Amino acid sequence: MIKVDKPAWDVMVAHAESKFPNECCGAMIGRMDADTKQVTQAVPLENAYAGAQGARYELRPEDLLEADRRARAAGLDLIGIFHSHPDCDAYFSKTDLENSCPWYSFVVLSVKDGKFDHAASFLPNADQTAAEKEDLLWPKS
Amino acid sequence: MAKILIPTPLRQYADKRDSVELAGSTVGEVLGALTAQFPDLKKQIFNDEGKLRSFVNVYLNDEDIRYLRRDATPVANGDTLSIVPSIAGGSTTIAEPPVTLSKDEILRYSRHLIMPEVGMDGQLKLKNAKVLLVGTGGLGAPLGLYLAAAGIGRIGLVDFDVVDLTNLQRQVIHGTKDVGRKKLDSAVDTMRDVNPNVRLDTYEVALSSENALEILSGYDIIIDGTDNFPTRYLVNDACVILQKPNVYGSIFRFEGQSTIFAYPGGPCYRCLYPEPPPPGLVPSCAEGGVLGILPGIIGLMQATEAVKLILGIGEPLVGRLVLYDALAMRFRELRLRRNPECPVCGDHPTITKLIDYQEFCGIPHQAEQAAAPGAGVIDPVEVKTKFDRGENFQLIDVRETHEWQICRIEGAKLIPLGELPKRVNELDSSVDLVAYCKMGGRSQKAIDFLKQAGFKKVKNMTGGILAWSDKVDPSVPKY
Repeated sequence: MIKVDKPAWDVMVAHAESKFPNECCGAMIGRMDADTKQVTQAVPLENAYAGAQGARYELRPEDLLEADRRARAAGLDLIGIFHSHPDCDAYFSKTDLENSCPWYSFVVLSVKDGKFDHAASFLPNADQTAAEKEDLLWPKS
Repeated sequence: MAKILIPTPLRQYADKRDSVELAGSTVGEVLGALTAQFPDLKKQIFNDEGKLRSFVNVYLNDEDIRYLRRDATPVANGDTLSIVPSIAGGSTTIAEPPVTLSKDEILRYSRHLIMPEVGMDGQLKLKNAKVLLVGTGGLGAPLGLYLAAAGIGRIGLVDFDVVDLTNLQRQVIHGTKDVGRKKLDSAVDTMRDVNPNVRLDTYEVALSSENALEILSGYDIIIDGTDNFPTRYLVNDACVILQKPNVYGSIFRFEGQSTIFAYPGGPCYRCLYPEPPPPGLVPSCAEGGVLGILPGIIGLMQATEAVKLILGIGEPLVGRLVLYDALAMRFRELRLRRNPECPVCGDHPTITKLIDYQEFCGIPHQAEQAAAPGAGVIDPVEVKTKFDRGENFQLIDVRETHEWQICRIEGAKLIPLGELPKRVNELDSSVDLVAYCKMGGRSQKAIDFLKQAGFKKVKNMTGGILAWSDKVDPSVPKY
């Protein structure tokens, strides 16, 4: 299960809505123990995809490295990646799967007409051939 | 000792440690020591063939090792290695029509298909690939032939030139029967004959800032086979803007070079050459000559790199400039790095759209050239008139001795451009001087020099001995 604290969640939703109709992306930082991940901070990152960003995103490894450094400096862990699906449901697409990695939680936020609609989290397997849905808890208010 | 930072989710395979200090003199050795100590980590980072998994990037401090020396990158005491995944995605996938090979194609490509590194998957990748050749000259000729033969699905060709007899010494895609034809028509005929399965798209234009993005955007890989600086900078900048790899090659006399520019994270042409050389400083192949076989070698290095990029195999020629010396028969390699200050591909680019490349390279536009005052130049026909009238003037040939042996204008005095400074006292500044070379470039430099040396009555014969052959004496052979 992955649980997102309100300050982090607000940052994620605001980032996703501000980038609409483009996809947004970012890193999720927090703590993890045996069965629960808790996201305490969200770091918006630039969508580095070169073409039209309405249905594509790309994270720069350097940006992710920097987010990991920030997490380590704060005594926290990099535990997930988030991105948005503008005017599209929060599912894990073939593109998402093929360009993912098995180490992190992938939270997808569905944004419809510019407003957050729903979200889901996924755990890709080692060969990036399938992703398992992970329970996602976000502050409902 | 180097420190490896362990990503959170992998710490379960590394005794829950967030970093590990390990010995090793290269990145490969340190990673080897890591997986030796924690065998469970191995399959997280490496695939079954022992290569880094496709999504795994390794950074030495702030640099991606792919742009250093990969596994062989030296590691010093106190260095930090980080393991960072590449991540991307998107809500939709553009469904591509399933591509298959016909029975004939399977037979045609059988020598590819039986190699596991290519195989059916690889041959389909080649068939799906779209490659643009800018230029169908020296480099474009072998590129066009071999890429068509290899089964690239779609090849675009940009050229607006016609086949000339002087091309045939190296441009093997054109034949003697093609002299006078458009290079595009001749190249397409040959490539169709080599492989009728390839879709060929032709663009009979000079690539320009107005059309480059539109033409290039339809292709996966751009191959630069041009011979002039404005087009090289144009192709480079357009490739950086469109994020498409630019497979570069260049040739001169007995030497050539090749590399891949504008590959994600790698350098671009401007990282290597931020500024173009002053116009006229670097002679073209028409002025300096080129060994006819040379473009075959360099063009096929470009073709090899394009095919490797498409297949995703081997080590791409990114961040490495290969220099080839035909006389020594030696290949050397120079390391290239992306320049963070590069105006196009740097961290804070200042050039984000295409510019005027003629102006950037200091080449006046044709209209301006035409408008330039006629002072200081003389037409070959007028020179002939001077001879006929028996005027007292000195005609100077500033070409090289071996060019003088090919052809000359009777009555001229040979002083190769390089010898002019020390032989200037052989000239009489009181009589009219007219200088010529092959096409008018070097003789202009001679005129500039003579003016600086105090000569007043000096003129450049426009178009050189080639124009003399056209306008005055067709018995003078052109070369």
